[in-house]
Amino acid sequence: MSKKRQITFSLVRGALAILIALLVAMLLIFISAGGDTFGAKLAATGEALKQLLVGPLFRVNTNGVSFEGKRLADILAAMIPTTFTGLAVCIMFSANQFNLGAEGGIMLGAFVSGIVAIYVPMPPVIHAVAAVLIGGIAVGLVMLIPALLKVKLDVSEMVCSLMLNYIIMYFIKYLMNAYYADKSKGQIQTYPFLNSSRIAPLGSSPIFNSAKLTVGFVIALIAVVVCGLFMYRSRWGYQIRMIGINQDFAKYSGMKVGFIIVISQLIGGFLSGAGGGIEMLGRYPTFSWSALPGYGWTGITIAILAGNNPLFVPLAAFFMAYLQKGCDMMATYANVPMQLIDIVQGVIFLFFAAEQFLSKYRQKLVVKTAQEEIAAKAALAQEGGNANG
Amino acid sequence: MGNLLNNMITPEFFFSIFRISAPILYATLAAIVVEKAGFSNIGLEGLMMFSALFGSLASYYSGSWFIGFLAALVVGVAMSLLMGFFAFQLKTDIILVGIAINMMGSGGTLFLCKVITGITEGKAMASTTGLITSGLCIPNINIPIIGSIPFIGRVISGHSLLTYLAFVLCFLTSLMLYRTSLGLNIRAVGENHNAAASVGVSVLKIKYIAIGFSGLMSGFGGAFMSMSYAQGWSLDMVAGRGFIALAAQAMGGGECFGGMLSSLLFGFAQALGIKFSAVGLDSNLASPIPYAITIISLAIFGIIRKQKAKKPRTES
Repeated sequence: MSKKRQITFSLVRGALAILIALLVAMLLIFISAGGDTFGAKLAATGEALKQLLVGPLFRVNTNGVSFEGKRLADILAAMIPTTFTGLAVCIMFSANQFNLGAEGGIMLGAFVSGIVAIYVPMPPVIHAVAAVLIGGIAVGLVMLIPALLKVKLDVSEMVCSLMLNYIIMYFIKYLMNAYYADKSKGQIQTYPFLNSSRIAPLGSSPIFNSAKLTVGFVIALIAVVVCGLFMYRSRWGYQIRMIGINQDFAKYSGMKVGFIIVISQLIGGFLSGAGGGIEMLGRYPTFSWSALPGYGWTGITIAILAGNNPLFVPLAAFFMAYLQKGCDMMATYANVPMQLIDIVQGVIFLFFAAEQFLSKYRQKLVVKTAQEEIAAKAALAQEGGNANG
Repeated sequence: MGNLLNNMITPEFFFSIFRISAPILYATLAAIVVEKAGFSNIGLEGLMMFSALFGSLASYYSGSWFIGFLAALVVGVAMSLLMGFFAFQLKTDIILVGIAINMMGSGGTLFLCKVITGITEGKAMASTTGLITSGLCIPNINIPIIGSIPFIGRVISGHSLLTYLAFVLCFLTSLMLYRTSLGLNIRAVGENHNAAASVGVSVLKIKYIAIGFSGLMSGFGGAFMSMSYAQGWSLDMVAGRGFIALAAQAMGGGECFGGMLSSLLFGFAQALGIKFSAVGLDSNLASPIPYAITIISLAIFGIIRKQKAKKPRTES
């Protein structure tokens, strides 16, 4: 199939998957919509859908629609942690390792960075950088547990990383209760982070400040480029992808499979941990998370949408942040429970991952390409024949 | 420490081990059968969440625990067949299908709960715990003669119907796998699906049966969670039992009896955690015990497996 057709196919397939998810969402919204008559329900559904699709960027009211810069900034800010978890999952899944530890990883990274930000004074900027790096390294080291158990003892990295998520959550809750909580506050939270550790807003405009859109966004984009170069332009990245495609082949061609699998999960852990640190120091005054934040699962969806290619991660992260914002808008203005996002996310996820979804259409495109090639060859032969004759 | 021991050697403690093990055992049986058929279902967690929600809702709206119980089974099987459709027909990686089901099982069930019941307690939390009364729960059974034996009677008698059923089904599943043609076919498909297909076994059908069976077991587990273990459904109530079951399957060597022992081990770990917090330990230190034991026992199991694999080579 020609490259152009392949791109067309991916686009059609993606659009259709999203459309199906929206149809499912519409059905669910319709069921949950208020109203006694069919017409009233339909109107309420329309109103809710408008919030879902347009609400993330525009204010919808009787005067028409008007662009809201603050909402766009919110979406961009929400992309920061999920871009990091998305990249982490991309790299781990590329090696065919279903490590689901990004969820616990981002919480642990946020916690460790937060502790460094409170208790280890350092000069400004250096403090923030050091805190985030230490958070990342801590999670990278924790990810050695599932990675080494997998490589050395063939223990399922999936089960192990899932169990680690729970252990990390309870461990942090325990440490908060026992040592780090500011007892003068009603809610369980740490003392405030030192000012030197703060990650600054992206610009001086009040929109950046209120949406908490920080320099972290730029760092996330840099991370995307670095991960893209790593996966497609470096030896380790190549080996990670080869192991994902065919582990036996990689082994027999002399790659150190175990070592590379460990490296991929170390990097994944580092990315999710650093993402947690950036999220925490950029957007919160103190550490107060008492449950897993869910960014790890969104990261898995993002990686699937991006086809495990780091360069597509920002697009997928933007899409997911847009959907999340839409669901928030719907919950606020149309009274649809915001957990709808989980169902929509699941449906999109399923159809994106379905290899045979639209396979007949792909078959048609392949046949069409082949026929055109044959026709072109025949025409060429005809021409040649004419010239000879 | 002596205080803890006094707390432990009581009929209630051993009773609770069986009670806690039952839902893990159901999920473990589900994991065992799909592994025998050659794939793994990591969506057990989500399946149990859906079954638990719809079981409790059906029980509330019909006013009968039995209808709720049936609804849980039907929902479990239907969702698992849907998983099968995506995995076998649309060729989605079965692991990714499982992740998707788990995603929906977490927030999605809360959405459905809110939409169906119209309950919106506060900002985010909603549950069916207010709807389910003890009359709508699966009944407990007192065994006549055994129940009057001191100590042992209080351990064995008085469990929920589904607790007994879990251990009966463990035995029946083993029979099914090793004494019926269906079991033979499932194992054949898992060993080598080309060979199975060549002797006329419909591989697709067997795979659907296996994943449907896992849905049925998740249905039992889900019903137990929301209609016996707890009264009513609440967010993330399955709390990783579907994942622990995957570990129990691996530790039990993929066999029913081994899986049962591993489930009991996890039940013991969790009961121990509850006891620890009863004697004053921070519950945040006690709660992760089963998860930590999972990792440790998987590692030990891995070492044993490795040594077993080494031995024949050195002998020969």
